[in-house]
Amino acid sequence: MIEWLHPGLIFILGALLIPVLKGNWKKIYLLLLPIAALIDLLYMSEGVFWSIPLLEYELVFGRVDQLSLVFGYIFVIVAFCATLYALHVKEDGQHISAFLYVGSALGIVFAGDLFTLYLFWEVMAFSSLFLIWYRKTKASSEAGFRYIMVHIFGGICLLAGIILHMQNTGSIAFNPFSWGTGWGYLSSYFIFVGFIINAAVPPLHAWLSDAYPEATVTGAVFLTAFTTKSAIYVLIRGFPGVELLIWLGAIMAVYGVIFAVLENDIRRLLAYSIIGQGGYMVAGVGIGIGMAINGSTAHALSCILYTALLFMGAGAVLEMTGRSKFTELGGMYKYMPLTFGLYMIGAFSISGFPLFSGFVSKTMVVEAAAHLPIVWLLLEGAAIGTFLVTCLKLPYLTWFGRKKSVVEAREPPKNMLAAMGVTAFLCVFIGVYPQALYKMLPYAVDYAPYTASHVIGMSQLLLFTFLAFWMLKGMLRGERTITLDTDWFYRIAGKKFIWFCEKPLLNFADSIDKTLLRIADSFVWFSKNPAVASRIMVLTASMVLLKPFNPGYMRYEQDLEELRRLYPGEVHRVAIGTGVLLVIMFFTLYLFMYLTYGVLWA
Amino acid sequence: MGIEKKYLVCMLYVCLAVTVLAGVLVNFHEHAHAAFLWQAIPGFSAICGFIGCILIIVVSKALGHHWLQRGEDYYD
Repeated sequence: MIEWLHPGLIFILGALLIPVLKGNWKKIYLLLLPIAALIDLLYMSEGVFWSIPLLEYELVFGRVDQLSLVFGYIFVIVAFCATLYALHVKEDGQHISAFLYVGSALGIVFAGDLFTLYLFWEVMAFSSLFLIWYRKTKASSEAGFRYIMVHIFGGICLLAGIILHMQNTGSIAFNPFSWGTGWGYLSSYFIFVGFIINAAVPPLHAWLSDAYPEATVTGAVFLTAFTTKSAIYVLIRGFPGVELLIWLGAIMAVYGVIFAVLENDIRRLLAYSIIGQGGYMVAGVGIGIGMAINGSTAHALSCILYTALLFMGAGAVLEMTGRSKFTELGGMYKYMPLTFGLYMIGAFSISGFPLFSGFVSKTMVVEAAAHLPIVWLLLEGAAIGTFLVTCLKLPYLTWFGRKKSVVEAREPPKNMLAAMGVTAFLCVFIGVYPQALYKMLPYAVDYAPYTASHVIGMSQLLLFTFLAFWMLKGMLRGERTITLDTDWFYRIAGKKFIWFCEKPLLNFADSIDKTLLRIADSFVWFSKNPAVASRIMVLTASMVLLKPFNPGYMRYEQDLEELRRLYPGEVHRVAIGTGVLLVIMFFTLYLFMYLTYGVLWA
Repeated sequence: MGIEKKYLVCMLYVCLAVTVLAGVLVNFHEHAHAAFLWQAIPGFSAICGFIGCILIIVVSKALGHHWLQRGEDYYD
């Protein structure tokens, strides 16, 4: 009997069998794998497993403690929901890349050393790429390309940091990194940048809002769950209590909301909401006390569920109508009431309605920020904005907003609805019975979400936000625009840089080339017959100079033309003369330099 | 339809009033709970939600219209 089985391996090796199976067997198999992984996790005891010596280091594939187990559970559960949602997909490639993606995310969660972490980090980036490319549109292939470029950059930062860290400390164990200001912390900075790229912290977040909305309908559901949340996990492991993260997180929360208000594409709006939600977790990691880390972990869990649900709802609309823009949607309630209902459960959860999952996790982070007034206000503002965009703007413009719908549709396939149902159930379950969530958290929880002041405060916040929305709803209509974000720098500035290289820079190089060639040419021309050449030069010069004074310059002109025509003339006859001339010229030059030495030049 | 809408609007106002009243009552009991000065104000969350929402919409739209929003073919 094996002592420990890596749950990620179940997905990674399990993916290999997918192409062999057919029809219903394949569907059953796809659903069984996450269940097998969940059973594996449930029977897992804490400790360190699968540590393999490599040179003088130790690779640890299985560090099992409370924190890694929590993330393990939720990853496996959401993998089940997303697989159910994607069950109708015919292409094996999509299932395989999704399972590799889930497996590598689990690999990150259980990695006990930095090499193992890096290995799974890269596998995760590349396997997720195919969930974008399988959409097979021009936009998705371009967005996927930008996505992988950013992640390769992040991976390089991580690797550089790991190598520096290894040199400084001689260890590759994955423990909290030292933090401070100065060159001594360079390795930590590199690793930090690698981590926050995956966590989509502005200004390094644009890959998410750029690529997720271009992914396949089912792939996007997988994407929402793993990359950003595994980054939150490694931040909790590596950088708890780093103050910078508090501010990055608070800004991130508001940033996501502002861009979501401007967005016209339903899935891009949700992508910005994911960034906003990530802000709470990042801020929680920065605060670093037990309650805040608990809050970040709990919020990561509930966020994984409700963002998956929201993307499922938006994906269902896209799947059935082929449209994803507010300006092309509206009035869908008539055709997709079930999808609407299930979507709204996700929307209530993300907004933090009492009895839904966001309420029991988001308030923990906000409560932990109770000693930082500005951060508290920013997080509260982000809560308002999240409710506004996901629970009011999106449903209003998609399912209502028009008297008559612009496009006909029907409810999505049964497996998609079932997946949404399961996920919605979990969102409500956590909201109604938060102890189930709190029991799993890494620190002991001393927090009661359902106090009168919490519930009433949240109700006031949400109801009055609704009032303001109803007054200003005209301002939120979809607009046929895109919003510039920090991806501008590599999409436009990159193009401009290439233009600069191709046009002005190349022209400049060209002109230098041509000038040098002309000078060389003129030397060649001169050396063919220096005597005649110098006569031509003298004549040309005197023509130009004497033209105003000498009316008979015509004569010169004829001479000059004759000379030029015959040039270089009968070279053999002037050979000796030329030699003598050249010698004299050099002597003259030498004499000139000798006499002027110290006067004109030193 | 008209009556139904009126009924809904009425309900909304009732809910708003009830939450504010409840907030004031709770404030008497749990006064020590306030972490910041402004949390002691009765109905602070209501003000926060209302003003916050208007601010978010107006500021975002201003940013968008004057700076960030471009035509859909901007990157093509």
